[in-house]
Amino acid sequence: MTVHVDVGGRRRAVDVRRDGDRFLVSFDGRQHEVDVKVINGVWSMLVETVTRPVTGPAKAGPYDRNNARAGSPEDVGAGFSRPTRSYEIAFSPSAEGRLTVHVDGAPVEVSIDQIRRAGAAAAHAAGDGPQRVTAPMPGKIVKLLVKPGDKVQARQGVIVVEAMKMENELRARAAGTVSEVRVAEGTSVEAGAILVVLE
Amino acid sequence: MRRILVANRGEIAVRVIRACRDMGIETVAVYSDCDRGARHVRLADEAVHIGGNAPGESYLRVDRIVHAARQTSADGVHPGYGFLAENEEFAAACRDAGLTFIGPTPDAIALMGSKTAARQAAMQAGVPVVPGTEEPLGADVPEVAIAGMAERIGYPVMLKAVAGGGGKGMRLVTAAAELSSATRAARSEAQAAFGDPAIYLERRITRPRHIEIQLLGDRHGTVLPFVERECSIQRRHQKVIEETPSPVIDRELRLRMASDAAAIARSVGYTNAGTIEFLLDEQGHYYFLEMNTRLQVEHPITEMVTGIDLVQWQIRIARGERLAVDAEAAITPRGHAIECRVYAEDADAGFMPSPGRIAALRVPGGPGIRDDSGAEAGGEVPIFYDPLISKLVAWGADRSQAIARMRRALGEYDVVGIKTSIPFFRWMLQQPDFVEARFHTAYLDEVLRTRAGEPFTPAEDERIDMAVMAAAIHQVLGPNPMNPLNPMSPWKAAARAEGLRG
Repeated sequence: MTVHVDVGGRRRAVDVRRDGDRFLVSFDGRQHEVDVKVINGVWSMLVETVTRPVTGPAKAGPYDRNNARAGSPEDVGAGFSRPTRSYEIAFSPSAEGRLTVHVDGAPVEVSIDQIRRAGAAAAHAAGDGPQRVTAPMPGKIVKLLVKPGDKVQARQGVIVVEAMKMENELRARAAGTVSEVRVAEGTSVEAGAILVVLE
Repeated sequence: MRRILVANRGEIAVRVIRACRDMGIETVAVYSDCDRGARHVRLADEAVHIGGNAPGESYLRVDRIVHAARQTSADGVHPGYGFLAENEEFAAACRDAGLTFIGPTPDAIALMGSKTAARQAAMQAGVPVVPGTEEPLGADVPEVAIAGMAERIGYPVMLKAVAGGGGKGMRLVTAAAELSSATRAARSEAQAAFGDPAIYLERRITRPRHIEIQLLGDRHGTVLPFVERECSIQRRHQKVIEETPSPVIDRELRLRMASDAAAIARSVGYTNAGTIEFLLDEQGHYYFLEMNTRLQVEHPITEMVTGIDLVQWQIRIARGERLAVDAEAAITPRGHAIECRVYAEDADAGFMPSPGRIAALRVPGGPGIRDDSGAEAGGEVPIFYDPLISKLVAWGADRSQAIARMRRALGEYDVVGIKTSIPFFRWMLQQPDFVEARFHTAYLDEVLRTRAGEPFTPAEDERIDMAVMAAAIHQVLGPNPMNPLNPMSPWKAAARAEGLRG
């Protein structure tokens, strides 16, 4: 999922993906692995920054893998995380549509493009050919509501996906016939994955 | 004294309640409509509602506060600072109602509250005052006589309207040649603005430092002066940062100023806590400015370097005890203490008040840190009162350690939901002028003018990156208690986008 964030007049396209219980956040040509824990409304954010695409299994290493040090804790065994930068984050709504993000107590004013726009853009990119129902963010398939050959009405629900502990029903945007179901119940999907195709 | 009514709110009410509790004394809070849930109300043993939000309907209502004290069988009243603290009628009303007013006598408040009477008292005690003319100079006083007075006072001099205020009829004269035209201008301005052409002359002290001496006086004739506080970091004549001891005062000067301050207080039979304020010029000469007949906002720094609890002593003096404090301990600082007045103000918007609800609060702690606060997470900073939410105090073995600890504490301090002056303090504590103690009472206003609104929190790449990252994740997580912005989940938004296309 792509979110547009403005700070100080500069707009950044930020790609956010879920990776297990972490987030992979990419912008300005860098990828960050982010662990968020919410304590009483305030976030503890642990960040590991990767400035080029990671190849191979993500194993132990220092928090900035480009400056890999000798003696990385690779051999201490599973369950130990890599070093990260620690930040404390708090949010407060500011003027119209803006958000004040406190980073270790220092306020930064940001504004965020409504997600709708990103969603609409994704839908548009799908084109006018076969209708594809895609996952707007990473999640798990809870229930298939259709099977190949079914006729569906416009706005009829076709699949239920769970993310962030919430079930969400995705609908067909126009009437059609199900030509393909690409996922099974119980499977996990990435953002943008094609779930169901209609003709 | 068994039960004390605290006639105040906010951090100072909390401070007084704590002193009472330390002494095993019960406390009564008073509160206005909007302070029903305030911290001082919840900390006190009893609480009495005294009226509406405007101070004139509650915290300034002498009758209701005295009535509340009677209702609750309180036997003492502590006024804190501000509101009724320097109101001799309130002190008299307490006395007349059989309540012990924890402060000076009504007469002392009235006498030292008058600028001219206080100046006379200082002069009679042999303490230097800013040189000037003691009598008004009416229209009949010839210019040549004024020139003679200006010569005696010494240039630069200020011409001020006797009936004055707001800078009207005020002229700075740096040399004798300018005096004649300045006198005519000041007189005609004073006549136009106030209907009275009378002026007076006063030496202009350039780049003065604000130095003050804390005093305690008991009812048995003992007056005890404390080590000085320096309060030169001021914004529009309001103290912003205070410290003790002053970085520019040696023991010899300290003892002279302390002894002069005590002499003024003794000469008027002053009791309880009070503070004599001086201006210190660049040549090391000091001049009496005024006396504050109450506990000062900045009293904690004195407590930090002397180990003496000033509020407890106010109570002990009020109940007739003798000052059993080692005079040497009061005048000899142990280490160094700095206070930052944390206000609910948007420093980046010209220090505009920023009232509202505190959504989250992280208060610093650790070695040498004291936070005297009336605020808490979930609490409101009302629009009706002074927006001081906390006094952050750092103590160190020396000034540089105190600064280091203050920087650390300011870094930990996070107030979410309202704007505060914390970003300004973080910036200020980094300034070489502050670190090297190169300042005077007009210093901060001058610096703020030259900065012309530049943000106090520098735009650091790392911080911005983290804010961008957090904001993006925040957005993706969608609606939940942590997300005040977006009521729509990305899932629903995506579904709606799909639906809209159809």
